[in-house]
Amino acid sequence: MVPATYFDGRSTRVHGVELSVIGEDLLVSGTDIHLLIPFAQVRVDERLGRAARRLRFPDGGCCEVSDLPALDRLLSATAHRDGWVDRIQRHRRSILLALVAFGVVAGVAYKWALPWAAGEGARRMPPVIARVLSTEAMKTLDSGLLRKSRIAAARQRSLTAQFDALQIPGRGRPKSALLFRDSPQLGANAFTLPDGRIVLLDELTNSIGDDPHILAVLAHELGHAYEHHGLQLLLRGSVMGAFLAFYLGDISQLLAAAPVALIQARYSKDFERQADDIGAAVLRSHGLSPGLLADDLSRLSKLRPDASNGGYLESHPPTDERIRRLREMAR
Amino acid sequence: MATVSLSATATEPAYPPLPIRFTGRGSEYFGIWIVNLLLTILTLGIYSAWAKVRRIKYFYRHTELANSSFDFHGSPTRILIGRIVALAMLFVYNYTVRVRSPWVLLVLVAFAVVLPWLLRNSFRFRLYNSSWRGTRFHFRGSVGGAYRVFLLNGFLSLITLYVLAPFTHQRLKAYQHNNSWFGRARFSFHASAGRFYLIYLILLASIVGFGVVIGLAGIGSTFTALGHAQQRSGHVDTREIIRFLIYFYGALLLFGMLIGPLFHALLTNLIWSSTRLENHRIECRLSPWMLMWIGASNFVLVVITLGLFIPWASVRLAKYQVESIRLLPTSDLQEFVDAEPETIGAVGEEAATAFDFDISL
Repeated sequence: MVPATYFDGRSTRVHGVELSVIGEDLLVSGTDIHLLIPFAQVRVDERLGRAARRLRFPDGGCCEVSDLPALDRLLSATAHRDGWVDRIQRHRRSILLALVAFGVVAGVAYKWALPWAAGEGARRMPPVIARVLSTEAMKTLDSGLLRKSRIAAARQRSLTAQFDALQIPGRGRPKSALLFRDSPQLGANAFTLPDGRIVLLDELTNSIGDDPHILAVLAHELGHAYEHHGLQLLLRGSVMGAFLAFYLGDISQLLAAAPVALIQARYSKDFERQADDIGAAVLRSHGLSPGLLADDLSRLSKLRPDASNGGYLESHPPTDERIRRLREMAR
Repeated sequence: MATVSLSATATEPAYPPLPIRFTGRGSEYFGIWIVNLLLTILTLGIYSAWAKVRRIKYFYRHTELANSSFDFHGSPTRILIGRIVALAMLFVYNYTVRVRSPWVLLVLVAFAVVLPWLLRNSFRFRLYNSSWRGTRFHFRGSVGGAYRVFLLNGFLSLITLYVLAPFTHQRLKAYQHNNSWFGRARFSFHASAGRFYLIYLILLASIVGFGVVIGLAGIGSTFTALGHAQQRSGHVDTREIIRFLIYFYGALLLFGMLIGPLFHALLTNLIWSSTRLENHRIECRLSPWMLMWIGASNFVLVVITLGLFIPWASVRLAKYQVESIRLLPTSDLQEFVDAEPETIGAVGEEAATAFDFDISL
């Protein structure tokens, strides 16, 4: 006998009843209630914490049971079996297992699955999206941080011509275009937009000086363009943002906004290495030495000894290591 | 106190105020939460609809009024459909706005036409799938009413530079609560627009006060430092930027932790204490201070535990919010009768729910 409260589904009247199983049927009996329902037609709610569970009947009526152990004993006499999610979410060991599994899955997703998916996504994405994003970004930059370049037009033309001739050996040439701008705030810098546009800032051009060394920087940026690094970063950021909003959104929107920016900075390292490799290959195929890029890096790091200072080196962390790699490739 | 109010309810049979109790526990909810998370990430988000149903069910079933708990009956597939629709709309919106496509006007008009209808259907979904003592809630707001509230009033508050926003808010709540039913019993809403204006004025005053305090506390000096750094070398010092960001983000956080709970408490108290179910009154007494304390301490603990405290934090907040509500009944609550399908008319609720889904993400 299991004590329960019966509701007929048509009114909120409370009927105290007792439940028992007779053969294949459920017997609901109280002072003014007497029901015999085939158990196969009874739907049993899954267990959620210590909340009362309900047995639902085909006519819309239901029984609320608060004595969960008694209900379990009653159910064990029937064909009812708890669902698997029901079981794992209430046993301490499986909860712990779920916690560990969540940690592992999240780690794998972050370290391998997300970068892979972002790479594939960036390659397959219709080019119009990257173009629109870049055009918008360029408009914003041009109305704020960037100014017209003061590099002589002839020099610009000659650099553009040399840049346009660059090829990645065996892989052709990604869609790209060279833009000249000046920016006192950003200093000696060059960056690549999602659609492959490369922005070269005057201070970088001036502090490096000769064409082969500038070409080395552009070859490196061409590597970023070829691998769609900008778009990959954007995709990773969006997925991370969506996940964190889901993970933390339950409790606080404020928390969800912050960490994406912190996590993103870490990604650049691999991307820089890839771009260095492609840049080195480009340089070699044009009869230039990868050492040029190493020269640029060491010159820029001397230009700003404090590496955390804003500028070209900011998103390129282990400069010494990169210089060493490039010098080895130059040998 | 009993000794003071001897004469208060001498004539009618008194039904004592009924507290609403919340019996959930963080440790129990943790199991549900972590399994939800794991399955959601394994299914690339698809399971999140099922997760949402489990979460709502957990909170509903641990909410008790007069020894009977509430229940939720929503189907995960409907919620999944709702999420897909909402994501598609978000995508279309972002895309057309970014591209500045000539279609943008058409898209905006289409949204304006569709959204009130969708929101009304999602109110209906939420209420129809909620029950207490085996009897369901219903939302019977008309489509026309939804257009009046969301389009007309929304538009009015927009063109008056939000001077009419409190009025619009009052209209929205009146539309929601006056059209809500429990079985055949109807809810009613009794807060005037004036009381919404009062709360919005308090909000405005506290925002101004907050701004002044924060301004004095040094956002100005940070800006000046930023300016100096720029003049000195032509380059912005990264550390200055970081200091500025920390300051800015800190101010934002403080705003969310102080003004947010204050506004939430005042509004929720007004809205629920002005709502009745037939003759039964509801009373809501959220304390802004308690909400601030719970919010701030939850925040700190969630950060320290890298999110693992979230289940306890949610349960703690839900418990405080739910238990600040009391029902002041005028009966033993046994008289409510479920709306029989035929009384809803030819278009039964079940049939009409073909387009009902929860669009909240």
